[in-house]
Amino acid sequence: MFRVAIDVGGTFTDLCALNEVTGEIVLGKGLTTAHDFSEGVVNTFKSSGIRGEDVTRFVGTGSTLVINAIIERKGVKTALITTKGFRDVLEIQRSNRPDMYNYSYRKPVPFVPRYLRFEVLERIASDGSVVLKLAKKSVLEALRKARSYGAESIAICLYNSYANPDHEKEVAKIARGHFKYVSSSHEITREWREYERMNTTVLDAYVKPLLETYLKDLEMKMRELGIRIPIHVIQSNGGVAVLEKARETPILQVESGPAGGVIGARELGVAVGESNVISLDVGGTTAKASLVENGRIRLNPDYRVERTPTYAGYPVKTPVVDIVEIGAGGGSIAWIDDVGSLKVGPRSAGAYPGPACYGKGGEQPTVTDAFVVSGILNPEYFLGGEIRLDKHAAEKAVAKISEHFGTSVEEAAAGIIKVAAGNMVNLLRLVSVARGHDPRDFTLVAFGGAGPMFATLLARELQVSKTVIPRIPGVFSAWGMLMTDLRHDFKMTRVMKLDDAHIDILNNLFNTLEEEGRQVLTAQGINEVDMYFVRTLDLRYYGQEHTVSIEVPSGMFNRGLIQEITERFHKAHEKEYTFRLDSPVEVVNLHLAAFAKVSKPRIAVLQGDTQDFEEASKGYRRAYLPGVGFTEVPVYEREKLPIGNTKQGPAIIEEKTSTTLVMPGDTFKIDNFGNIVIRYGGVD
Amino acid sequence: MSDLDPFTLEVVKNSLIAIAEEEFIAFGRTSKSPVIYEVLDYAVAITNSKGELVAQANGVPGFLGVLDLAVKDCIKKYGVDGFSDGDIIITNIPYTHGTHLNDVTLISPVFFDGQLIAFSVNKGHWSEVGGMRFGSWTTDSTEIYQEGVQFPLLKLYIAGEPNRDLFDLILTNVRTPDMTLGDMEAQAAALRLGGRRIAQLCAKYGPSTIARAMEAIIRDGEEKAYNELRKLPHGSFEAEDYIDDDGISDNPVYVRARVTISDESFIVDYSGSSPQARGPINSPYSMTIAAAKVMFKAVTDPQSPANEGAFRPVQVIAPEGTVFHPKPPAPVATFWEAGSFAAELIWKALAPHVPDKLTAGHFLSVCATIVGGVDDRTGEPFAIVEPQPGGWGAGYNKDGESGMVCSLDGETYIMSNEVIEVRYPIRVEQYSLNLRDKPGAGKFRGGHGIIKDYRVLNSHAIFTASFGRSKFPPWGMAGGGDGTPNYFIIYRKGKPPLKTRKAAAVQLQRGDLIRLVTGGGGGYGNPKERDQERVLDDVRNGYITAAEARAKYGVKVRRRSRS
Repeated sequence: MFRVAIDVGGTFTDLCALNEVTGEIVLGKGLTTAHDFSEGVVNTFKSSGIRGEDVTRFVGTGSTLVINAIIERKGVKTALITTKGFRDVLEIQRSNRPDMYNYSYRKPVPFVPRYLRFEVLERIASDGSVVLKLAKKSVLEALRKARSYGAESIAICLYNSYANPDHEKEVAKIARGHFKYVSSSHEITREWREYERMNTTVLDAYVKPLLETYLKDLEMKMRELGIRIPIHVIQSNGGVAVLEKARETPILQVESGPAGGVIGARELGVAVGESNVISLDVGGTTAKASLVENGRIRLNPDYRVERTPTYAGYPVKTPVVDIVEIGAGGGSIAWIDDVGSLKVGPRSAGAYPGPACYGKGGEQPTVTDAFVVSGILNPEYFLGGEIRLDKHAAEKAVAKISEHFGTSVEEAAAGIIKVAAGNMVNLLRLVSVARGHDPRDFTLVAFGGAGPMFATLLARELQVSKTVIPRIPGVFSAWGMLMTDLRHDFKMTRVMKLDDAHIDILNNLFNTLEEEGRQVLTAQGINEVDMYFVRTLDLRYYGQEHTVSIEVPSGMFNRGLIQEITERFHKAHEKEYTFRLDSPVEVVNLHLAAFAKVSKPRIAVLQGDTQDFEEASKGYRRAYLPGVGFTEVPVYEREKLPIGNTKQGPAIIEEKTSTTLVMPGDTFKIDNFGNIVIRYGGVD
Repeated sequence: MSDLDPFTLEVVKNSLIAIAEEEFIAFGRTSKSPVIYEVLDYAVAITNSKGELVAQANGVPGFLGVLDLAVKDCIKKYGVDGFSDGDIIITNIPYTHGTHLNDVTLISPVFFDGQLIAFSVNKGHWSEVGGMRFGSWTTDSTEIYQEGVQFPLLKLYIAGEPNRDLFDLILTNVRTPDMTLGDMEAQAAALRLGGRRIAQLCAKYGPSTIARAMEAIIRDGEEKAYNELRKLPHGSFEAEDYIDDDGISDNPVYVRARVTISDESFIVDYSGSSPQARGPINSPYSMTIAAAKVMFKAVTDPQSPANEGAFRPVQVIAPEGTVFHPKPPAPVATFWEAGSFAAELIWKALAPHVPDKLTAGHFLSVCATIVGGVDDRTGEPFAIVEPQPGGWGAGYNKDGESGMVCSLDGETYIMSNEVIEVRYPIRVEQYSLNLRDKPGAGKFRGGHGIIKDYRVLNSHAIFTASFGRSKFPPWGMAGGGDGTPNYFIIYRKGKPPLKTRKAAAVQLQRGDLIRLVTGGGGGYGNPKERDQERVLDDVRNGYITAAEARAKYGVKVRRRSRS
């Protein structure tokens, strides 16, 4: 009995399966087949040796498909239908210039050129009332033109449709009579802000035919392999949807790839009894961090595709797990800027040529080279010895840095590690401190190939007392996918004061949303008993813009509850923003997340057959530890470490896909789930 | 810390810069004022104990290098020993270290172990600071006393305790005390956050390390700046222009600048520009300096960090009593009108020599508008204060951008129309590209301005606006055509439409309509050299007509490509 997760990446298609009986993890890898992604999925699945009939859960992603189709502009010719007076909104956008001193800045080019943007006669007021009735003739005329210009997919976003989608529904109905692919804004989100909603709808329409083809092929082929259970597709909100549902709104998968790691960190937190977790995923080129508070994954209200600090990008108003990312990973290149300061990243040596120590012609010093030079990374045991790293090449590369500063290569290597760690610390502060959270209240879960090497260095800086390195950190994201519940989000803007006068409206709206959620889940074959709903209100002080999300209990609103929510809002606002106001509190959005519990594998409890660290010992290695200097560090093989016994740092713990560094003064042990648990300063 | 290695120094430097960014986020997210959280009309900075800029985070370029001037004046006033832990000093004096009275600066000294380490400083636009008109800034003031209350470096908090008398004074003299207090609270909270973080860094690395890191940042900035300076074309470059009017009469205001670049310096000399204007268009000297710093950054490395050293080569000469260096009590409420020209003149002078950095002329003006009044639905006052986006100039390899905020604005978001309609008694009837007034033609053409229609749904409202570049349109470059002017049209019941460029509290009633129109940018190069495919694309998209394609670009359009 296997639970299987398959992630289609840019180069490789990865499989991670969990044997529900033994707790054993099976890995598979195959090439991604760009002409037909489902083919690569089939090949990878076959290579794992798992039989289709034995699969009890199947989670797949088309994450790369959606985001790559957008980034590479490989979607279909799309037309937009909007309200008269507003077709240029897609081009005007919000008019901001993030690269503000660059007077040759280029704004994002709209995905629908002007000649494919059509206006229809209709107008809804901000309170939802009809100012001008929809002129159906104008709709037919728009569709006719769209057809004659060769549009394949239609995006519909009418002005103020968040307040009343009637006209939009009518347009969608007509459009579906003429076009196979139609995306309508109210079916994706009912939040205000016309440009953001319009762009979200456009991107959805732009990739819809592609995703439809992929998911159809995938389903057919999986059935041929004997897989009978419903196929789940991961979404950017950190949940999954069944495949038939996922096809309807592809934009919900736009950022689903990295979500797996955050979900995994949350689930791991639940297993080890920590509901406050910071997840840190350090791969080859980036470090990604996210924060889980009280077991809740945070969503990013302001997600944009392609956004950088100097480029506005394209807003997508659907729930996306809040992940902050910087260009710092194992492949990040260390360099000296024009005034002689050491910088690390954001440029990466990538997979090719890769770090100098790979011996594939890379000459620039990278973070991985620094770890090799410092002695923390074992050149003989990279990927379990599959690749032998060239320490000499690493030293030669790092010498470019040491010569500049007149230090030893080891000192320079430690310097590179320090600067990279410093960048990551600032990243982690951004997801915690900058939002009013004290990292000391959180457990750091570090994974990805390079995460475990940095984890304790970061924990020190942030004074995080507990760090957890999960099993097989290199494929932890895929493991997280296996833990995901079904999730659908329903969000709606309704601006009103949070007071007793609005109790009935709140009850009605939430009941309506919950009913919608129930229907969507029922349609996916979910039993009522497995459903649960989480209600959230986006609240703000009257007159303020930015909202704070407050979870509210299910059940009816009443005076007492309004009071309680108001007080919770004051507290949360004070925590995040340092002050509270006497102003009235205002509701902006109602948000309902509908979940269906998926039976989760119990994380296997391991029984150690040894108490002895000796058996795991691989001797000592002289390593240059950042901030400490040369130290004789005991080296262990992770798989052989005893369970439950605590040991003093320093230590280097090696395994096939990763290496964990434990600093002097810290303690570590393997817990019952096979995680490495490290305590900063030895506090237990 | 004795064992300070170059790598730790690097980490500390990055941390200091990260503090400014963290504080910037906090400020924006706590604000009650749309001018802060949408327009991002604010900035935060850290200076060393001498008031020299160490790190800055801006929402708009116009505040670049103004904050440290305020700190330096503050030190001058109180002396280095004149501060205690928990002090917050308030100022909005335009002439020496500010912009206009709405832009209020707060400064707090940062102490560690009783020793003054640094200053945390920020600046934000307050919605109301009193004066003759609602919203304080106006287009018809003739002296600063009409523009609001002045805070000449006063202690708002003394050793952590609020100075109640000053609070009372402020709350009594502004029209929206709650809103103003909210602006102040958010700003003070962000300021304290910055201070706390610097103190934490001191605790971790020791104050002397922090001091050394600050020095290093400034030294790096200086070295970088001189490296960049060497890459610029050397010599003297001149430009002249006219501002539409002085704010009171219809007479244009002549301005000029000479930019002299050598290995040692980047000198901007505004001598020869008109005397200070009677109306509020004057650019305070500090704003003029900021404009020169902005342009220096734009033509060197736009992404480099801002600090004291980074601007060391920049020198500004602007004789006192001119429109670029007004004397008190000159009015400065719409300082950006001359302020944008302080930057524009440098732009115009240098653009032909650094075409990879600077495009042809753009719509330039902030095109700031206020619609305000008392909302019939709630009985509460409302004011929507915002800039408008417009058309940018074409570059040597690109068409101009359409509908983008002007050069003095930056990470400035134009408010969503759906949000406007909920919050204010206004209906937005169109938000389109301005295709009536065609941008400058060229091998690369200018970008389009916008047209926005506001219908008043309230019984009564006032409208204030200042649209510059209304008489003298954006300039074309290398043979490209000129752009088009900014203006607005007021449609009132029983009156003929009024097309104009300035409005001071014009009275409106239900059903009246304001049409805001911004101009297109200048073109680059000979239109006849424009790629034929681009011309056909423009016709297909309706940016130009088939007739224009033939007349301006010499391209005949066959029927099929018309839409």
